[in-house]
Amino acid sequence: MRETGRRADGRARRGGEGGWGGTDGYVPLQAEVVDIDVESTNTYLLSLRPIDDEDETVEVDYSPGQFLMVSVFGLGECPISIASSPTREPLQICVREAGRITQGMMAARVGDVLGIRGPFGNGFPVADMKDRNVAIAGGGSGFATLRSLINYIADHRDDYREVTVVYGARTPQDLYFTSEYGSWQAADIEVGITVDMMDASWKGNVGLVTSLLSEIDPAPGAAALCGPPMMIRAVAKDLLDRGFIEQEIYISLERHMKCGVGKCEHCTMGPYHVCTDGPIFSYDRVRDLI
Amino acid sequence: MTASLLRREGLVPLLRDLAETLEVVAPILVDGSAVFATWRGEEPALKADNPLNSPVEFFLPKREVLFRYVQYSGRYTFAEEPPKARLIFGMRPCDLRALEVLDRLFGADIPDHPYLARRRSTVVVVLNCTTPGERCFCGFLGSGPAAVGGYDLLLTDLGRGYLVEAGSPAGVFILQAHRCHFEEPLPEDHLEKERLLAGAEEELRGRRPALSPEVLKRAIEETDWEVAGSRCLSCGGCSLVCPVCHCFTVIDQGVPDGERLRCRDSCTLAGFSRMTSGANPRPSLGERLRHWYLDKFVYIPEKTGLFGCVGCGRCSRVCLSDVDRWSLLREGPR
Repeated sequence: MRETGRRADGRARRGGEGGWGGTDGYVPLQAEVVDIDVESTNTYLLSLRPIDDEDETVEVDYSPGQFLMVSVFGLGECPISIASSPTREPLQICVREAGRITQGMMAARVGDVLGIRGPFGNGFPVADMKDRNVAIAGGGSGFATLRSLINYIADHRDDYREVTVVYGARTPQDLYFTSEYGSWQAADIEVGITVDMMDASWKGNVGLVTSLLSEIDPAPGAAALCGPPMMIRAVAKDLLDRGFIEQEIYISLERHMKCGVGKCEHCTMGPYHVCTDGPIFSYDRVRDLI
Repeated sequence: MTASLLRREGLVPLLRDLAETLEVVAPILVDGSAVFATWRGEEPALKADNPLNSPVEFFLPKREVLFRYVQYSGRYTFAEEPPKARLIFGMRPCDLRALEVLDRLFGADIPDHPYLARRRSTVVVVLNCTTPGERCFCGFLGSGPAAVGGYDLLLTDLGRGYLVEAGSPAGVFILQAHRCHFEEPLPEDHLEKERLLAGAEEELRGRRPALSPEVLKRAIEETDWEVAGSRCLSCGGCSLVCPVCHCFTVIDQGVPDGERLRCRDSCTLAGFSRMTSGANPRPSLGERLRHWYLDKFVYIPEKTGLFGCVGCGRCSRVCLSDVDRWSLLREGPR
């Protein structure tokens, strides 16, 4: 038996420009849960401190839109989007209760460790989006990866022109990151929120993300989308009608994944591996596949 | 490179010598059928059909431990096991081609270390096919009946013995270190090898007319996969015996200490792409079968320059519904 612990190159830095430097094999890095926020009834925001085997903090480089393979030892590993922006500490993942592994993550307490591998995937093309208007549209739990992009843009606000965020959830209780909308507006980002079903306390919009888009009327430019396939198709069509072009509508896709490195074949979508060719695709590449 | 002649009676003594330092895997008769298994002194079943289990399972096992995790006061340590030093004896040219495809897939972008480590620690001894099996169609795909490179040693059965050619420094080393088992080949031995392989090629050519990749792609597009899928039992057997199939799943076993396992999987199984939410991108059998073919004949060639099918015919041999995979593609479902 060879004791690996952390490899030398894993200790210094993980990730890197454009994605995949630093990732080494199937042995994960440990990440200590340092804080837990409750985002909704079934969703927690976990703040993580990646550590080496001497409990020293390891810096993880990533870009908005990338994901981690996160493990609970004994239950397994699954892909989770990074919800934090690389411009801000700490590293955060948004975990929604879906199956055994996510239940295990939500059972973690501050001080417990999870396993992480990655970051994987291509991320949003933040450099290509520079000097463009940016429309960001999310639905449901897909909003976690968009929050990484929104905070990244807020921290590089001068690089982008008009920035619009539209976000829809099932009920007001299902809305994520409600405490941050004010800070986005303060950074000159237009924010529209809508829910499918209102309750007595709700005074905002009710209805689909697309109807909110008509109201806000974002100027054509780049777009970033994540949400249920039905919403993606409807929003993409709406944006195309507004003069956006397919090559600039970037969609973050979700698939079943087991390796994150393009080998296990679970996430194949036509000729693509969503884990390595994506998870962000321009609409022209996946129009007929989603 | 160097060539030698191994007399038939010298084969078992040579393997015995090799087995002193390496685990030797060879085709062995079990209840009348050949299987690739650890050699324990018996006569290797080199005249039988290519074993149903592909030798690729010694590079990508049905079940392997990726690493062990051990918890101590809330923190984990991880341990990986180094691969065994092995020699695979009697692998056919089609299976060697499958390894070349996997080398390109598993070596690309983010490399798969467990696979590559096994590849590095394994000596590959290939046996040219002078008498192709009944269901084989390697000739059409360019993956047989003769190996052209990528082996450490290459054997051709000439009747009076095996012509043994080295294709790597490891192969040359074996020929030199075990020279007591070999003799100098005659010039006509090389001619005999060419004659036998030309005969095998001729036989394969008569069996399957050659089709271009473009024709194959069109055939996939034109096949009614829902009808084709109606005969499939979705057992996944074809993927388990295919030397190029490499789908896998990863599971943990044990709390708080345990193992993370990698197990072979199949894209023809219903739950393969299903997400926790229940959404399934390929819910029907027809869609999954279509993907199986597209991957082998369109996507893998785009990525590696090699077909993802090597014509070994195992998928047709193992199919419970007796679906001849190749005819299905060429002629549509019967």
